[in-house]
Amino acid sequence: MSKHWFWWALSMACVVWYSTITVYVAIKGAADIKSMLARLGKGRRTGDS
Amino acid sequence: MTNFNWLLDGSIVGVYLLVTMIAGLMVRKYVGNVEDFLVAGREMDVYLGIASLAATEFGIVTCMYTAQNGYEKGFAGATPGILMALAMAGVGLTGFVIKPLRDSGVITIPELLEKRFGGRIRWAAGVVIVLGGLLNMGVFLRTGGQFLVLVAGLDVRYLEIMMTALLVGVAFYTILGGMLSVLVTDFLQFVVMSAGLILVTILILMNVGWEKLVTTVETHYGAGGFNPFVNSTMGWEYVVFNLMLNIASVLTWQTIIARVLAAKDTRTGRKIYTRTSFFFVCRFLIPGIWGIAALATLGPVANTLEAMPTYLSTAVPAGLMGILVAAMLAADMSTDSSYMLTWCSVIYNDILAPFRKQPWSQRKGLFWNRTIIALIGIFLLLYGLWYPLKGDLWTYLGVTGTIYLASISVLLIACCYWKRANSWGAAASIVVSAVIPASYLVMEQLPSTAAFAKSIGPYYSGIATYLLSGAAMIIGSVLRPGSRVEGRPAHV
Repeated sequence: MSKHWFWWALSMACVVWYSTITVYVAIKGAADIKSMLARLGKGRRTGDS
Repeated sequence: MTNFNWLLDGSIVGVYLLVTMIAGLMVRKYVGNVEDFLVAGREMDVYLGIASLAATEFGIVTCMYTAQNGYEKGFAGATPGILMALAMAGVGLTGFVIKPLRDSGVITIPELLEKRFGGRIRWAAGVVIVLGGLLNMGVFLRTGGQFLVLVAGLDVRYLEIMMTALLVGVAFYTILGGMLSVLVTDFLQFVVMSAGLILVTILILMNVGWEKLVTTVETHYGAGGFNPFVNSTMGWEYVVFNLMLNIASVLTWQTIIARVLAAKDTRTGRKIYTRTSFFFVCRFLIPGIWGIAALATLGPVANTLEAMPTYLSTAVPAGLMGILVAAMLAADMSTDSSYMLTWCSVIYNDILAPFRKQPWSQRKGLFWNRTIIALIGIFLLLYGLWYPLKGDLWTYLGVTGTIYLASISVLLIACCYWKRANSWGAAASIVVSAVIPASYLVMEQLPSTAAFAKSIGPYYSGIATYLLSGAAMIIGSVLRPGSRVEGRPAHV
């Protein structure tokens, strides 16, 4: 581990960062989709009227 | 023999496919015009952008070549991922090129180039982008099918059928919903793909162990397995080529840039870049670890591309196998849909531009976009079936990508920041950038020139393309001053 600390640290950082970001993006991304579709829906209704 | 259980794992995969298809089709009602179809009405926010960018840039093909890199080069094989992360973070933080690009409000890169270099350069840039992009994407299907056949233990005869079924499913929701379907399915695919990648990596680290991974790399590759500069198959030319390739990709790869152009504003686009940057290290290192685990478990094999899926077919238990296959399907579907839509956007927006003297109705525009996606799907199916891949996959992707990456990155930088750049320099740059990698690919395939191509190698050929493409822009612009369309950077 100490001999190749760079690759060990980078590998662990990948697993930890990726796990965390997946949960965070899953929650925040769902909210983004909701607001994006709401804006698009509103735009279409405005365009139709 | 594989651990894939058709009842348990097959059900997981079936549910995933069903949910994705329904989600992809549900949003089609929000597509009202061509801008909705190609850039989701420019309503994408940061986190959806991160999910979409990560899902798009990780397909089965990515997993295969990065695992192959790990198998053949050890940890040093993750070097391109580190370089890409640095490039991504640097561009996101400074806004270099992407800020003027997004500020200009264009749909594609050639559209911006027209403002500076004229309509002919826009058209030529569109052709080069589509040519490089489609050649690049041509190997995606076969490689994806190879992975699924090996992991699920299917008969190789079913490879073409699997490829076709996968493509038809993806094309169906992309044709109907365009970028909106791509974004929503990308989001689902990001979650499923990430879950599978993380779980399998943890399983490998627990079962094989870090020490064994390190010992395997030391035994097979020595110091070169940890340091790209002393690796016999890499060296400084590999690092320099990959640095140029990754900077150019970050600036001009249309599927990446599409996320900036679909972002709701420039600040959002830059945030997507900086916050996704570390993902590109994971993109190379995680499958790289899978490849090293395959080397540790299987030892030397004839086909290094197939080592990782062969290893996973027996190392991953039933249940988790379903999640893995769903994750890889997710990865592949998100990549295929985004790529088809992206090249379609360039064909419609730039290559067909001369045929739209009178503006087309939104209905006609949507019809042609959908038709182009269907035609791209047919091309991919045919090309994927007959092209025999030689050498390693990452290098093939690098060489085909360079056909457009070199010239378009030079054109884009000059367009945004160099006042003396003109259409003569742009044309010279496009020609040089297309001729060198295309010639290399042809020479590699011909028996009479294969040895010569091998003696040059893909890295020197790639470096020469980037340098000569830049030189062509400077020489062409200096020799024919005054032929530029506008005397100022295009975005001003």
